[in-house]
Amino acid sequence: MGSLLQVKDVKRSFGNLRALDGVTLNVDEKTVTILIGPNGSGKTTLINVITGLQKPDEGHIHYGSTEITGWSPQQIYRKGIARTFQIPSMFGKLTAFENLLVAEKNHPGESFTKSLVKGLWVKHERDAVEKASRILQLLGLSEQSNTPASLLSGGQMKLVEIGRALMSDANLYLLDEPVSGVNPTLAHEIFARIIGLREQYGITFFIVEHRLDIALQYVDYVNAMASGRLIAAGPPKQVISDPKVIEAYLGA
Amino acid sequence: MTPLDQVILFVVDLLALFAVYLIINTGLNIQQGITGIPNFGLVFAVAAGAYVSGGLSTRIAVSLLGTQTTLDPIFDNISVLQLVNPILRSQPPTAIALLILFLIIGGIAGAVMGLISSAPAVRLREDYLAITLLAFGEMLNVIAIGYKPLIGGPPGVAVPDIFGWAGQYRFYAGTLVLLLVATAIFAYAGYLIKTPLGRTLKAIRDNEIVARSLGKDITQYRTVSILIGSTLCGIGGSLWALYSGAVTPTYARFDWTFLPWLMILLGGMGSNRGTFVGTIIFVALNKLIIYYKYAFVGIVPFNIVWLNYLLLGLITVLVLIYRPEGIVREWSARKENLSAADKEAGSRGPGLKST
Repeated sequence: MGSLLQVKDVKRSFGNLRALDGVTLNVDEKTVTILIGPNGSGKTTLINVITGLQKPDEGHIHYGSTEITGWSPQQIYRKGIARTFQIPSMFGKLTAFENLLVAEKNHPGESFTKSLVKGLWVKHERDAVEKASRILQLLGLSEQSNTPASLLSGGQMKLVEIGRALMSDANLYLLDEPVSGVNPTLAHEIFARIIGLREQYGITFFIVEHRLDIALQYVDYVNAMASGRLIAAGPPKQVISDPKVIEAYLGA
Repeated sequence: MTPLDQVILFVVDLLALFAVYLIINTGLNIQQGITGIPNFGLVFAVAAGAYVSGGLSTRIAVSLLGTQTTLDPIFDNISVLQLVNPILRSQPPTAIALLILFLIIGGIAGAVMGLISSAPAVRLREDYLAITLLAFGEMLNVIAIGYKPLIGGPPGVAVPDIFGWAGQYRFYAGTLVLLLVATAIFAYAGYLIKTPLGRTLKAIRDNEIVARSLGKDITQYRTVSILIGSTLCGIGGSLWALYSGAVTPTYARFDWTFLPWLMILLGGMGSNRGTFVGTIIFVALNKLIIYYKYAFVGIVPFNIVWLNYLLLGLITVLVLIYRPEGIVREWSARKENLSAADKEAGSRGPGLKST
């Protein structure tokens, strides 16, 4: 298994705050890796930097053999990295179904000239609709597909976020706290589905998550961050027994 | 004039006004309602269509009809039109061809002006974008008043009588054309909303950051939206100039930015049907108030000319307080699902409900 994502010595500051202070980590292909760390340790900033919403001050990010440092979010998404947000961010007035359809890549119907002639995009649209319904079914959201997204429950919004990311056919998914605020039953279900997707499609997940009680039994690797640095990396058992991690995070 | 004639005249006038506002409001709804671009400079594109039609239509008619004259189409406007109009009256197909040409030119003028006003602005945040567009909206009148070759300065110019062939039914023909164009544009907007492009524009409106992270080029889509909306406004302005028969530099913010905003607010932003409903109600109310307001002279404690402004303003305030989403909700088409979802949202406790 080669590494799909390589982050090398990435730094990013906000004024005097060093949110990322030289982070280096690898995410191996077809694995489920989680990133843990106390609040404010730079986890979300790292995701933002990888997906191009924020530019790193220093360091390099490679996706496969391509360097993607400093690319725009659009370019990174098209390259095959999709993400979700910590706070569910819906297109509120669109339905759950439409939320997924927006994520379709390279849709000819999005160009003004092609949008004028239905024949030029309707086939693509049909395929996208089929894919979206399959994903909604997979996530157990079929019944909510025509509900405006702003009326969904918090847990359902989390699922729509994941579904929207899945529409991209990306190879790497960065999920920012996919099960925070979700009840344990559904949280286990979400992780079970993530594992299922990994098995079925060979996709790679890099997940920020605090709910270790739920997440640890599903993941292959754990990375631990504190104060903008990586303090430990390895299989779950090894990382959570690491004294540095216990001190910084588990607080025991 | 018999009472019947008066009623017919009132209705025809109302329909013409309704049609031109439907065109312009549809343009605004695509920009503000669907894409979330607060275009407070709508008048810029409308006036561009009107002024370019005013400035070019006589010149174009003279050269295309091969009229021999040394007179200037703008400064000797009336004399030139006395040569042009009889030809147009006797050749309806030529007049209609010119009409179509002028509408295309008006649309292009609107689009170009929209692009100019948006180029520095689409990269800005919404509030700054609004201020920039507001400032742009004020510019064209200054140019039209000061630069005489455009439309002859403050007195304005007459335009070729494109509907002259209809004789005494001139205004009926003009209204019919306005309604036809408005119908086509309204149908297009209904189609646009259902295309993937429309969906993406709404997504950008609802959440710009997520749209970016899903690979959407925000600047490009905003520009497309401004272009579509401004083209429609340019067509509307051009058509209104041709219908009125003359253009003066009086295309003001109140009529062509403020009123369209009130109408789409009343009808419901983002909804095509809402635009229709808001426009018809507003135009009818405005017209009725203007028609009857002199009956209230002496009763109201202010100058009666302000009555329609005050009443329409009051209605807008009431709508914003009691039904901020407007008469037609954007997602009203999905009522059945909505009520079910409402129930669910209501039962959502602090622990967040699962599926």
